[in-house]
Amino acid sequence: MTTATEQVALDVQPVLARRDRLFVWTDLLIPLLCVVVVVSELFYLSQAPLDSIERDLVSNARIWEYTQQHILITIVIVVLVLAVAVPLGVLITRRGTAWIAPFVLGFGNVGQAAPIVGLIAIIGSFAVGFWPVVLIIAAFSILPVLRNTIVGIQQVDVGVKDAARGMGMSPRGILFGVELPLAVPIIAAGARTSLVLAVAVVPLGTDLNAGGLGRIVFPAIKLDRLEALVAGAVFIAVLALLIDWLGGIAQRLLTPRGIR
Amino acid sequence: MKSTTITGLAALGAGALLLSACGLSEDSGSTAEVEAGSVDPTALEGASLSVGSKDFDEQLLLGQLTIQTLSAAGADVTDDTNIQGSTATRKALLRGEIDVYYDYTGTGWITYLAHTENITDPQELYQNVAQEDLQENSLVWGEPAPFNNTYAMAVTQEFADENGLATLSDMATYMDENPDATVCVESEFAARPDGLPGMVKAYDMTIPESSIQSLGTGVIYQQIDDGECAFGEVFTTDGRMAALGLLPLEDDKGFFPLYNGAPIVQEENPEGDAILGVLAPLSETLTTEVMAGLNAEVSSEGLPVEDVAATYLQEEGFIK
Repeated sequence: MTTATEQVALDVQPVLARRDRLFVWTDLLIPLLCVVVVVSELFYLSQAPLDSIERDLVSNARIWEYTQQHILITIVIVVLVLAVAVPLGVLITRRGTAWIAPFVLGFGNVGQAAPIVGLIAIIGSFAVGFWPVVLIIAAFSILPVLRNTIVGIQQVDVGVKDAARGMGMSPRGILFGVELPLAVPIIAAGARTSLVLAVAVVPLGTDLNAGGLGRIVFPAIKLDRLEALVAGAVFIAVLALLIDWLGGIAQRLLTPRGIR
Repeated sequence: MKSTTITGLAALGAGALLLSACGLSEDSGSTAEVEAGSVDPTALEGASLSVGSKDFDEQLLLGQLTIQTLSAAGADVTDDTNIQGSTATRKALLRGEIDVYYDYTGTGWITYLAHTENITDPQELYQNVAQEDLQENSLVWGEPAPFNNTYAMAVTQEFADENGLATLSDMATYMDENPDATVCVESEFAARPDGLPGMVKAYDMTIPESSIQSLGTGVIYQQIDDGECAFGEVFTTDGRMAALGLLPLEDDKGFFPLYNGAPIVQEENPEGDAILGVLAPLSETLTTEVMAGLNAEVSSEGLPVEDVAATYLQEEGFIK
């Protein structure tokens, strides 16, 4: 439990620093950096002496197609993770359904601890394609959102909840009007961790016909084409950075003004 | 505190999974003495050698065959087989971490020597690879074994019977009539000039992008058998072909290059010539049928590689 609490504490800190304005110009540094990196990599590829295998692997059409696939899988995974983990996390914090905690957390822990390559190999002998890969990676990246939902709701000040009850709010009203809004920064921090995990793991789904930038990376490794390998890795890293950046913006927008 | 117990149990279970996954590659170590049969027991007396291999069944088998043969020739052999991937194995040889391993002429040409044009004659391919690798990297390729491990497109027997498929030309005709038929390939095969792009050109096939599925090697065999893939890329010596009763389509235009396996050593290795000399008679016996049979014993019957190798070497009289 300690590690989860520490992780949450780390994630929350920047949020607690109060801001006067929602956005500042430094917010643009990350996307700017990404643009510079992508443009230089594409320029480099257009200049570099590539052989026909490499040129084929990192053609603009392919990079674009695989990036779109990569983004689509990542988004579906994260939507799925949020749709499952947040309600489960809420149920764990309700007195009547707290008994599900060991089962749900056990599942989340196994999901994250199990070797993902092994999971993909096992599932791959039964089913291949987009959805099997989405389900495996969702199971793999569910834990951060689950844990942060629980911790986010539990850390809501008892006095605040008492005040809400004193005002005559129903338990349901307290959950949606007080607890969840106050937990948003922490839940969103978990979702960002899940997003980055998903972007990084999606390439492993290449072997199950799920598409994504792994289709550049893996042939490049097997055929020992370093330029293509670096290009694939750079695009995955940029995608992770950008998606985490977007997550940060969303986190800020969703956080209630009072605790921003 | 019930939750911690169950979380703990779950973590233990996952830990055990992790451990067993790691355990697979931890088989490095010296091997026991092997008594020589027809192998000269003094050829490598006193030499201390390390044998490598890549990480799939055929390579593990070649590794064990090499280890036991070199041990019989008097060498003290360390087992460094099961290295992850072709490039890593090759680099281990270049750095001198291993003394010898079997690689394929086609992999040498396309992957290591970074050529993109195809050589279809096996002997010409071997000579080109051996010559260029010696000049550029000081590596010596021993005489290649006769077995051909090459690509093929495979189908199930039933599917072949129903549609009268026997050759890749038949496949081209079938694809023209049924463009939706799934063609399953590895992402590597899809990128190699001696793979899918070349095959499509040589047979004038039309395979729409949407019909191509990119799968891992291990998955393809099962998916063909399950009928999920109409056509699938396979290796001709793979043991699962026989086990699942898959039919490789005949390469009637002779497009796929024939890849022979050959042992490789460093030129500066003082034992290099002796190693290749000891392995040459073994290589000669390794035909496509022999390799497919041995591979099947490992991949489908699940016998230990060491035992399959030892039994074969005893039957052939190399060791006792």
